[in-house]
This record gives sequence, structure tokens and C-alpha cells, in this order.
Amino acid sequence: MRELASAFFFLGFSVFVLWGSLLLGLGTLQKPGSGFMSFCAGLILFFLSLALFREGRGIRESRKALPARRALIAMASVIVYSLVLETLGFIVSTFFLVAILFHLGEPRRWWVLLGISALVTLLVYLIFGVLLQVYFPRGILAS
Amino acid sequence: MEALQSIAYGFSIFLTPVNLLYCFFGVILGTLVGVLPGLGPGATVAMLLPIVFHAPPIPSFIMLSGVCYGAQYGGSTTSILLNIPGETASVVTCLDGYQMALQGRAGAALGMAAFGSFIGGTVGIIGLMFFAPPLAQYALSFGPPEYASLAVMSLTMVTYLTKGSLVRGMMMACMGIIISTVGMDPITSRSRFTFGFQALLDGFDIVFVAMGLFGMSEVLINLDQSLKPEILKTKIKNLFPTKQDWRDSAKPIARGTLIGFFTGIIPGLGVSVSTFLSYALERKLSKHPEKFGNGAIEGVAGPETANNAGSSGTFIPLLSLGIPTNPSTAILLGALMILGLQPGPLLIKSNPDLFWAAIASMYIGNVMLVVLNLPLIGLWVQIIRIPYAILAPLIVIFCEIGAYSVQNDVTGLLVMNLFGVVGYLMKRFDFAGAPLILGLVLGPMLENSLRRSLMMSDGSPLIFFSRPLSAVFLLIAIVILISPLFSGQRIREKAIEMQEED
Repeated sequence: MRELASAFFFLGFSVFVLWGSLLLGLGTLQKPGSGFMSFCAGLILFFLSLALFREGRGIRESRKALPARRALIAMASVIVYSLVLETLGFIVSTFFLVAILFHLGEPRRWWVLLGISALVTLLVYLIFGVLLQVYFPRGILAS
Repeated sequence: MEALQSIAYGFSIFLTPVNLLYCFFGVILGTLVGVLPGLGPGATVAMLLPIVFHAPPIPSFIMLSGVCYGAQYGGSTTSILLNIPGETASVVTCLDGYQMALQGRAGAALGMAAFGSFIGGTVGIIGLMFFAPPLAQYALSFGPPEYASLAVMSLTMVTYLTKGSLVRGMMMACMGIIISTVGMDPITSRSRFTFGFQALLDGFDIVFVAMGLFGMSEVLINLDQSLKPEILKTKIKNLFPTKQDWRDSAKPIARGTLIGFFTGIIPGLGVSVSTFLSYALERKLSKHPEKFGNGAIEGVAGPETANNAGSSGTFIPLLSLGIPTNPSTAILLGALMILGLQPGPLLIKSNPDLFWAAIASMYIGNVMLVVLNLPLIGLWVQIIRIPYAILAPLIVIFCEIGAYSVQNDVTGLLVMNLFGVVGYLMKRFDFAGAPLILGLVLGPMLENSLRRSLMMSDGSPLIFFSRPLSAVFLLIAIVILISPLFSGQRIREKAIEMQEED
């Protein structure tokens, strides 16, 4: 199933790349255009995806899927962090990110978690923001 | 003689407090990541890339190189004391190193690993010093067809030797090339696959892609697994090997140095394969092969020497041709580009200060490693005890700050996190990261030289076969690609058996 899912994804992706490359223009062999390289790579990817599809058809998976809950929450958290960093500011968004990540690593009492998160955020801010002069967005704490 | 004058010049540049500090920081950090299972040198170099934007070029490069070769030292500690290899290049050390520890000879194993590493690393640097400049000089005669063929050969070799199916590896190399085309066309200046996003006009920055693919994804995948090492409770004493240990290890060290150095130069083979080759050879040549696997010191000395010599060897194609042979050197190549340097044969000629200072730093870095590592083994053991639940959030925060600080902008941060997710999914679906990052790094060189070659030959692809060196490179690539048809994938499987993905 994983092979087939991967094959379908890359088949779709390669068709998209081929289409985009055609729009960019392939040029000629004497003067290759902007889409030449991506077209070549996309074409190879297309055929390799077909080969993967062929490989995947014969595979019967009995393997139990690995748990992914913690990684999924962490992934969502870091993406949200990138989106809200400038709005909420470094201190507030980092505090929440640290709290989530520490909780994912090992569930703790809520006050321990908040204490650790506050401490880590403060230390990180002091080391990077104050000592190393890295610019951090202030967000909602800006006055 | 010229090399000796040049290295003296290198030392005159390197021996400043700032450079020494960066070198020290690099090798210590390298050892640390070598010690910690679940965090490799590639991930660490990727995470440290933002420093390149804030520090001068020479110290930055010295530090990042220090991480690469320092990691080879640290890996043996966990192999010997925990039976867990900190690095893939230390897998073999577990076989006899851990047995030696169980027999109360952990000190001798750690000591021989450190001294072997020092000898291998230092001889490797001497090789780098003498081989890289003439190779770069020779490569000055390369034209676009040679570069295109060299890029194809390197990509093919790395893909061929990557763990997992060949089809998947090739798919990732293609993905890397496709991603490398995003942004401005270097010949026509036309924007490609940017979808109106201004931030994509410069393409995907190797810094954020590497940090995501290797740094973030490694943390994410480890969140799903419990990493709780059991530390062997043994007294570490007698770190200096006995005369008998030296007698047993002298030849394995000499052979390990040669094997490591030459396998390090070849794209895709990397340092892991050299350790397996060294172990297999020592076992074959030994008068007591039955001792291997039961605590033979030769089984520690040979591979540990090989991985350090190999680590020095990987710098030869990187610094003389601009060709990375593994993910760590691919990211180092990215660092050179960020520093505004043009990796390739002209690098040594146009930036002799960087090249020779880096070589000088490697000599001193190796001395630092052997002097610091042995007394600090107790500290490294304590560090292994830090739970991953505490380490992981700190690594993530460090990555986030690093990515943001590059441009003080969230775009890079977002790209890194998205590639972190991509890297995680790739790991879950068994797609290797090495071919993708190499495709991304070599993509622009391949595209430029391919298009220029075709323009030069008025559209005739025969130009790649009519020039001897280019034809040799392509022939090697073709032989590698079609070899599974004749050998039933035996050669490849055997090579992969010998290595995990670097």
C-alpha cells in the first residue's frame, strides 16, 4: 500500500512538473530552454514512478504501522509556530512550542511543564536575544 | 616542497585565538553528536549552517569541518560502552569493542579507537594536502561536458549505494534536481515554478532544506521511538593501550588508513563502507579469526582508523572538484556557496587562505580530539544519559532560532519546517535523503553544464562521448546503472549490507 501510495503521488507530481516545464518552454537541443532540465528530470521521475507502481503491486504488507501521533502533533506545532511567530512574538510563541514539545516527550504535571517552558524560553531569549543579539519579533508584547 | 610552504601559510592563518576557538567548538560538537545516537553529523552541520551568515568564512568552515571529522571520534564511545553505534560508521566497532568492555577492557578499546582515529585522520589529512591541489589543477581543464558527466556519475554512485531500492534512490535524485530548478533560470533569468512567490525567486536555499531534511526530520522520527540507552557499568581504566595491543593493532591501523582514505574519495561509498571493508580484511588476514566478535582489538583499531581516514578523504572531491560524496559534505558545499565562494577546481587557487587554513585546522583539530576525548569519556557517558525527551525540544528550538536568524524572516523558517515534514514522510516511506540533497546541490551545476555543452556542440549529445574524460565518467555511470541486470543486484546489496545511509 505504501509503495502504491508513493507511486501515485510521484506520478501526479511528475505529470505536474512535465506540464510546468512545457509551459516554461523546452527550447531546442541547440538552445535548451528554461524548462529543459526539469522536463528531463520529470520524465525520468514519471517512468521511475511507474516502476515503483510495478514493484508495489506484488507487495503484501503485514508490517504494523509505527505510531506517529507525537510526530504529527510536533509537525503541526512547528508549522503553526512559523505562521504565528511574527504576530504573537518570539517569547509567547516559543513558550507554547516548548510546552507542547516537552509534553510530547514526556507528560508532566501542568505546573512543571509551564515552569520548564518559561525557564527554557527565558534562557534561550537571554542567550540568543540578549547575549548574541539575534533579532526576535516582539509581536503582541511590543509596546 | 610547495605543499610544505602552503601548509606553513595555512598555519599562519589558522593560529589565531578566534580560529582555534571555532575549531575547538566544532570538534567538541562533532564528538557530542557522534556520541548521541539519533543525531548525525549531517543534521548537526545543517543545524549550524545559520552561523555561516554571522561569522567570517574561514572560522565558519573550520568549525563545520570539525563537526564532520569530530563525529567519527565520538561514535566509538557509544559503540564500546553501550553497544549502540552513535554513528553508522561505528556499527562495526560494536562487534569487538563492546565485547572488550564486557571483559573489563573498555579502557584499552576506547584508547585504541582514539589513537587509531588520530593516526587515520592525520594521515588522511596529509593525503588531502598532497592530492587535492594537483587534482584541482587537473580539473581546471574540465569543460561543461566533463562537469555534466561528473555530476551524473556522482549522483548515480550515491544513488546506487544508498540504502533502499535503487528506483527510490533515483526518484529522490530526480526530485532534488527538480527542486533545484525552482527560481530564476541562470541563463535566461526567467522565473520557474515560483507561483508568484517573490521568496522563491532565489530558489530553495540549501540551508533551510538541509536543516529540515536532516535536522528537523531526525528529531521528528525519533519522537516516535524511545531512545533509552542502557549504559554498561564498567570501570574505565588503562586508556593507554599496552605494547601487545600496539603490536596487534599496528598493521590493522596502517591498512585501515589506506582503505578509509581511498573509499572516502569515491562518491557514495563514504566512511561506513570503509569500516566494514577494514573489519572484513582484518578478519581474513588474522591468524586467529575466531577472536573476532569476541573482543579482538584489531576489530576496533582497523575500522576506527578507517572511518577517520575516510572522513579526511571525503574532503578531496569536495574541495578540489566541488563534488560532495555524502550528505555532510553536500551541506558543507552549500556552506561554501553561502560564503560566496565558488566550489570547484578554482576554489584552492582563488581562496588558498581558506583551503590551507582548513587543512591546518584539521591537524590541530585531530590533536584536540585525541587530547580532549580520552579524559572526557566520563563526561560523554553522562551526556548519553540525558533523556531524548529533554534533548528533542531543545534541538527543535535551536533549529527554529537558527533558521529565523538567517534572514530575520519567517519564510526560511517555514521552508525548513515544511522540509522537516517532507523529510519525516520520506523516512516513513523509506525514501533516502542523501540522493535528494545531492540532486539539489549538484542540480544547478548539471543544468548549466548540460545546456552549455549542448549549445557548444550545436545540439549534438555526442559531445559527452567524444571527450575522453567525459566519456569515462558517463561510462562509469552507465555500468553502475546496468550492473543490477547482470549481477542480480548482488554487488549493490553487498555494498548496502555494509552501510546504513550516511
